[in-house]
This record gives sequence, structure tokens and C-alpha cells, in this order.
Amino acid sequence: MKEFRFKIIVIIAALALSVYLLWPTYKDYKNTKSIKEIVTEKQIELKRTYPEITKQDLQKKLIAIEDSIRVSDPSIDDARQKRIKLGLDLQGGMRVVLEVNTAKLLEKLAKNPDDIFKKVLSEAEKETALSDESVVDIIGRKFEQQQIRLSRYFGTIREDDAEIVKKLKEDAEDAVNRAIEIIRNRVDQYGVSEPSIQRQGGRRIIVELPGVAKEEEAKNLLQGTALLEFRILKDPEYAVSLMQKIDDALAGKNLEDSTKTDTTSIAKTEAKDTSLIAADTSQQKELSEEEFKKEHPFFAIAMMDPQGQSADAYVREGKKNLLKQYFDREDVQKVMPNNVEFVYSAKPVAIDKGENIYMMYLVNKNPELTGGVITDAQANIDPSTSAPIVTMEMNSEGATDWARITGANIGKRIAIMLDGVAFSAPVVRGKIPGGRSQIEGMANMEEAKLLEIVLKAGALPAPVDIIEERTVGPSLGQDSINSGLTASIIGYIAVGFFMILYYKKSGSIAATGLVFSILFILAILAGFSATLTLPGIAGIILTMGMAVDANVLIFERIREEMETGKTIKASIDGGFSKSFSAIFDSNITTFFTGLILYQFGTGPVQGFALTLMIGIVTSLFSALFISRLIFNILVSTSSKISIG
Amino acid sequence: MRIFENIHIDWMGRRKLFYIVSSALFFLGLLTMIFRGLEFGIDFKGGSEIVLQFEKPINIGNIRTEVEKLGLGNIELKTYGGENAVLIRTELQSIPANLYPRVVQSIQSEIDNAIPNVERSITDSSQNSITFTLANPDTTNILVEKLFEAGFQTAKVSEEPDNKKMIISVGISDWIKENLKIKFKDNPFKVLKEDQVGPKVGKELKQDAVIAVFLSLVVILIYLAFRFKFIFAFGAVLALFHDVLITLGLYALLYGVIPGLNLEIDLSIVAAFLTLVGYSINDTVIVFDRVRENLKIHKTMPLFDVLNMSINRTMSRTILTGGTTLLAVLVIFIFGGEVLRAFAFTLAFGIIIGTYSSIFVASALVLEYASKTKKKVEF
Repeated sequence: MKEFRFKIIVIIAALALSVYLLWPTYKDYKNTKSIKEIVTEKQIELKRTYPEITKQDLQKKLIAIEDSIRVSDPSIDDARQKRIKLGLDLQGGMRVVLEVNTAKLLEKLAKNPDDIFKKVLSEAEKETALSDESVVDIIGRKFEQQQIRLSRYFGTIREDDAEIVKKLKEDAEDAVNRAIEIIRNRVDQYGVSEPSIQRQGGRRIIVELPGVAKEEEAKNLLQGTALLEFRILKDPEYAVSLMQKIDDALAGKNLEDSTKTDTTSIAKTEAKDTSLIAADTSQQKELSEEEFKKEHPFFAIAMMDPQGQSADAYVREGKKNLLKQYFDREDVQKVMPNNVEFVYSAKPVAIDKGENIYMMYLVNKNPELTGGVITDAQANIDPSTSAPIVTMEMNSEGATDWARITGANIGKRIAIMLDGVAFSAPVVRGKIPGGRSQIEGMANMEEAKLLEIVLKAGALPAPVDIIEERTVGPSLGQDSINSGLTASIIGYIAVGFFMILYYKKSGSIAATGLVFSILFILAILAGFSATLTLPGIAGIILTMGMAVDANVLIFERIREEMETGKTIKASIDGGFSKSFSAIFDSNITTFFTGLILYQFGTGPVQGFALTLMIGIVTSLFSALFISRLIFNILVSTSSKISIG
Repeated sequence: MRIFENIHIDWMGRRKLFYIVSSALFFLGLLTMIFRGLEFGIDFKGGSEIVLQFEKPINIGNIRTEVEKLGLGNIELKTYGGENAVLIRTELQSIPANLYPRVVQSIQSEIDNAIPNVERSITDSSQNSITFTLANPDTTNILVEKLFEAGFQTAKVSEEPDNKKMIISVGISDWIKENLKIKFKDNPFKVLKEDQVGPKVGKELKQDAVIAVFLSLVVILIYLAFRFKFIFAFGAVLALFHDVLITLGLYALLYGVIPGLNLEIDLSIVAAFLTLVGYSINDTVIVFDRVRENLKIHKTMPLFDVLNMSINRTMSRTILTGGTTLLAVLVIFIFGGEVLRAFAFTLAFGIIIGTYSSIFVASALVLEYASKTKKKVEF
């Protein structure tokens, strides 16, 4: 037995690791079940209390309830993150392939599109639907045939056709970037779990939105133009005092409370010194974290920098929902003036303990200016400071407004927002008369480039068409999970039963090995965050049938060896070693086809190829290593082994 | 328990029989493919497909009549799964030109339903959408809401407070859904599945599928030539061609014949074929591995006898594995749900044909090659 100790430890370790990797999936399943029960209870309650409630309001309330449950226990979110990812065909959801409509883009970019232009463009549109040639090339060709110079519609008279074509192609490329950024921004805010937005080739974007219940709403995310706004940030003193009031309201303290009144008035009058928050917080350092949360529920989540000069708050991603609930409360609404609101930064500013942290700003609700006035934006390096900057140009109307706005708000900050989130909040250094501004404060060139895209996105079109769309409704998804599960269980029973029937005790060893094999497949999927699809489940069932193959080869060989009169031990050894070449060759070829299938397939088919390949590996491991070990242990303890 | 133990059948002597059977199946398949053709799903042809599940039982005939009135040309309509679900498919991805005015008309009348005689004008239109400009932002917002509730896919053109434009999608599935919602007001439905594939994408997917199948065969050929002699690799791959083509023939033969079995070629069926290729080669390799071993041991035995012996010795194992895999696939076919049915069917048939070809066809081909070229096969 001793010589097997190492191998037994290996197997137990593998088993333990698998259970560890799969535990979150189990927990998530339980969580979802109990949350569903609670929500259904609440739904009945709400319907009883408010019989007139509209469907939409009911939905909103239920979502808020679900969110609050999830937020209150971080382990729920943790389990969700680590569970086995389900493909769209099992979760329900949408997969959309978008292609930038270059023809429409060209139409919008053209200086004075006349009938000839429109005709050529519509011909080009039809041709590009069937060939790979880009619309830009096609119209270049057609206009050349008609001997019309492209500069009539694009660029300046000094540029020749080749230059214009090059520039147009760049614009088209740019449009894809804009579209991706706009979509990403909106999807982030819409709150889809695990969305995926990827660029494919030069013109296409693949968007996957799992679990999207309202297909129409989701499609809305992908259309239309984005809204770019310039909004003024409130002064730090104003912001801090408002936040203090909210904090008080949440902590249940009314303004009659003397100690608190003192601090608020001090905060108001001794205005400029936000280090008073520091004083407060340093006193509060005496309080434990729990007490701090109770005393200052707002500041516990909207954390301020005591050394900072601004009233920007840091908010953890997980706490955003909680804040939203706070803002929706009546007592908080009473304190908030109706011409300001809190907005978040579009991208996280830091990561702490694996969680994203966003910046929160207090801005005017009404924008000073919207994106239609921007004519160009360019990310550059400032020659004098070597820092990344973005130069922004406006049309004459915008320039006049901009001069007025900047003149009246020197020293204040203006937030540049796209579709409701802020990408940048630079300081106004001086009046800008010519509509040509320089924005500083980006940490690196990447940020600058992003701002450039955002500015252009608000101004220029990025029309996209849906060229492929796959939607699976959630009920079909659930049905698929059920059938998949049923089929798997029945499959296992059928195969296992047969093995035991034909090979007796050895058959039960094979059946045990099969359990290990399946467990390992699932654990590997969970560990690598790979996606399980319905064909993937079929792949697992198929693996069950094929896993038997290796066992059959070994057992048949063992039987043959026993017939030649060898001892049990020698037969087993002989069986394993002689069948190895056949097992290896046959499984490798199936593995290769799986690999090719993975390369060329999409979505569900890839899921199948993945489980097929992983299944081959794990069933080989369990047949050659685990089963062999069990055989060896049985032989060394001289147990009876029957092989039919 | 034993099966096929100690059999001594002269397989190679009977190979003429196998040639006849295989050729018959082969030509039958080829003929059906030529005359009946293969049915491709929208993955390859492009088009739109939606599956709707109604709350109450439906009459397929009624739905078909209503859908045919929609002017979408060739429509395919079938029941999906069991319960009150129907699959509607058309080759179009967007509303055809002659139908367009009708679609616009129905939108216009719906707008009148929402706000009678409201002022509006069409300021932009594309293959997939129409943009209306209205008198003021409030009207726009109201119309967007009302038409959305009526089942149209509407949205505001921009979120600016002074936005007066509304954009409505005019896709095929939208058109179908909107109309069915009106015609079958008392039997609401929900969308189980919705797919839409553009022609360019369809072409690309077709190309990818062909490359994938071709590449697999090449890779297998190279690997086997490396591990065994070239003629074995060749025989194995030829047997694979045989399997794929006969299975395709079955598709052409049975399409539309069995109710409830939707036999059209889409991406998952291509995956089933590739799996079939991978699986069939398994069997062939097992036999050849035994041949390889026996050739090494019995150096003077003629190839004819070596092949027979190897097949006889591996028969029980081959039948067993084929049997258990077939069992697993049948479980998927029966319990795996509608989505996987055609996939399982392909695999099931492929396993049977694949096993047959591995045992008989591949070895016979090796024998023919050896006797024709009078080469001695040795490792």
C-alpha cells in the first residue's frame, strides 16, 4: 500500500481542487433559488398592497429588492463571479454582430451630397453587401469612372483622390472605435452581467449580452447617437455641505441635533478648508469601522480624500447600487436640490482588493453645451510639457457659447460626459475665445486617446447595422439546461449500468473513473472561466460513451492476457501497457478534430469542441491513472477482481 | 459476459460484398443529393428565423395563412418541439422593396392610433429603419413609448432634451411579430429564439465550415501517415470520405420525411460531422493498431490473414465501444431537447456507418492497394 501513497495523494488533491473550484457554482445555485423565493414572496406582497401597480414599476421594485439582497452579502457576488459560466444558449441572451454602415457614414461626412452622389452611394452599398471590397474603394472606383474628383464631396480641392480615399478609410476605422466605445459605455451602465464587446476585423463588432430579458431594450443600446454633454461641477464647499446633509439624513440625525449642527455650519462657513473633513475623520478614526458606518453611512461608501482639495468621492463598484438606493430615499430627496445630481466616472480610477473604484462628482443637471458643436478632437503630446493633451475644436456657434461659459467659470471644473457618465473633469484655466481648447490632466496617452474618441463620438455619427443576431429567450435557456441535465444523468446511468453488467467488478471501477472524469471536466471549465453551452453538455455525454472506449480496450487486453495463462498482476500490467498505443493514437485524432472545430466554430459549437477536448484528457487520466491505481491496490491486497 | 469471442470469419474474402453495399449506399446518397438537394439552414443561406411560443394551443394552418399574407415571399413554418411553439423562417434579412410601402403604411396608421392626426414627416430611411421627425420633444417621447408598447421597435434618435426624432426598426422579425401580435390578440406569445444572418456572414460561415472539414481530413492523414504506413493513412481517410458522403446522402433522403425531425445543415450539424470524423477514425485506428502489432509478431503471415485476424480479435471491442457511444447519443436524441435532436441523429447514424467502414472498408482498401502494387507491407 505504501508505494501507492503518492499516487493516492495526487488523486485526492485533484479531487479536493475540483470540489473547491466547483463549490461557487453550487453556492450560486442555492443563492439564486433562495433569492427567487424571497422575490416571489415580495411580489405577492406588493401586488396585495398596491393592486394598481403597473408592470414596469413592479419590475423596478423587484429588481431593487434583488439588488439589495445581493449587495448586503458580498459572498453572493463572489459565488456568482466564480461559478461555471453558462453560454447564451443556456442563460438566454443576445449575441449581435454589428457592422459599421460605411455608406451611411460617408453620406453624413459628405459636404454637399447631390443626386449623383446618392446614386453612386446606393450602388456601392448594394455591391459591398456581397463582396469584400470596402465602400470607400467602390465609390472611389465609380467616381473615377465618371471622371468626378472626390474632392467635390470630401476634403479640400488640394487633395487628390488617393489622399481622400486614405483619409476616408481612416475615418471609417475611427467610426468602429467610436461605436465600440459608445456601446461599451452604454452596456456598462445598463448593467448586464458579463457582457462581451469585441472588435472583429476592420469593421465588425461582436456584442454578447447574457441574460438580457428585454431584447428590445437591449437593441436600443446599440442604435442611435450618443449624447455628449459639458456640465459644471459644483464647488467643493457646496458639494461637501450637501454630502454632509445627506449623511445626516441617512444616519437618522435631524438637524436639531446640536453637535451635528455645529459641524455642518462650520463646514459651511469655514468653507475653503476641506481639511475639516480630515479633522472630523481623524476624530472618527477613534470610532471603529462599524461605528463609522453607522454614524456616517454616506461617507462610509462615498469616501473622500482628507488631503484632497476637491469634493470628488471614491465609490466601490459594489456599493454603487446601495448609493442609488440611498439617493432614491425620500428623506435624501428632500435634501437634494433639483438642479444638481451625482454622476460617476466612466472608467474606474483605481482597483482595491480586486474591486473597481469609481469617482463620483456633483454636477449641474443641465448641460452648458452639448456635443453637436464639436468639429474635431485630437490627442497629442504637449511640446512644452511632454504631457498628453487633447485639443478640441468647435463650430462658430459653439465657440461663442464656449467663450461665454469658460469666461464665467474660471477656476471651476467642467465635466465632459457621454451618455451620463464623466470621462474627464478638467479645470477651466481661462476664457477660451476661438473655440479651440486644450484639455489636460490625462494620466497617459491611452486616456487622451479615449477622450478624443469620446469627444468625436458625441459629434460624429457611427451608424451600425446588425448583420447577425442570435437571441435565446430565457425560458428556452432554462429548458435546455433541464434537458441537458436529464440527458447527462440518464446517459451516465445507462453507460455505467452496461459497464458493470459486462465487466462486473472491473466495470464498476470504470464507472467510478467516469465520475472522476466528469468532475474534472466541470472543474477545469470553472477554473479557466470557460463557457458551458448546450452542445458542450452533449460533448460531456459523448465523452462518457467514448471514455468507455479506453476502458474497453484495456479490459479486453487484460482478458486476452489472462487467457494466455498469465497471473492477474501480469495480465493487468500487460493489458494496460499493450493497449496504450491504440488508446493514444485514437484519442489524439479525435482531439485534433476538436481543436479544428474550436478554431472555426463560434459560440455554442466552440463550447462543444472545448468539452470534447477536455473530456478526452480527463477520461484518459482517469482510465490510465485512476483505474490503474485502483486495480493495483486491489491486486496488492489480493482482493478478488472479476472482469467478466 | 462475452460477445464475439473467438470468431474466425473471413472478412477479407467477403470484401466484394462490402464493396457492393458501400457503393450502393454511396450512389444512393449521391443521387438523392443531386435530385433532392441538401437543405441548408439560415447559418449558411442567410435569412431570418424566429421561434414563438404561444400560451394557448395553436393551429398551424391559421398561423401560416396569416404569415403568408405578410408579403415576405417564401416562408417556412414548422412546429417546434411540442408545445404551442412554431418556427418561422424566411430567406430575407430585410424588408423587400415591394413590401416597404405597406410596412410604412402600417406604422403610419399605428401612429394615428396613438395620437390622431399628429404632425410628422419621414426624414430618413434605410433598409432597416425609418426616422420620423415630429413637432416637439414631448410628442416624440409619447410616440416612442406608445409604439413600443404596441410592439414596434422604437427609440429616440438622441437623448438630447430637444430631440424631435423617432427611429423605428423595420426588420423582418419585427414585422412578423407586430402583425402576429395584432392578429392573435387573445393568444400572446413570447420569443424563444431569434436568429438573423446576413448573406455575407452566411457565405463566410459556409467557407469556414468547408475549410474546417477539409483541414481535419488533412491533419488526420498526416498524423496517421506518421504513425502508420502511408497506405493505412490513405485507407483510413478514404473510409472517412465514405462515411461523410453517405451520411450527407441520408440527410438528402430523409429531409422533411420524418415529422418533428428538422434535418437541415447548420453550424451544429457541421460540428456533428466533424465529431463523426474524429470518432470514426478512432475505430479505424484500433483495427490498424492491431494490424501493426500482428505484422510485427507474425512476419511471414500474408497480409490477407493478418487483416482478418486483427479484425476478428478487435471485433468485440469495436462493437462494444460503438454500442456504448451509440447509447449515449441515443440518450441525447431522446432526452436532450429539440435543439440537439438533429445533432444527435447525425452522430447516431454516423457512428453506425463509421464503425462499419472502420471494420471492413478501411482494411479492404489497404489490401487492394497492397495487392495491386505488389508491395510488402511491413513496419
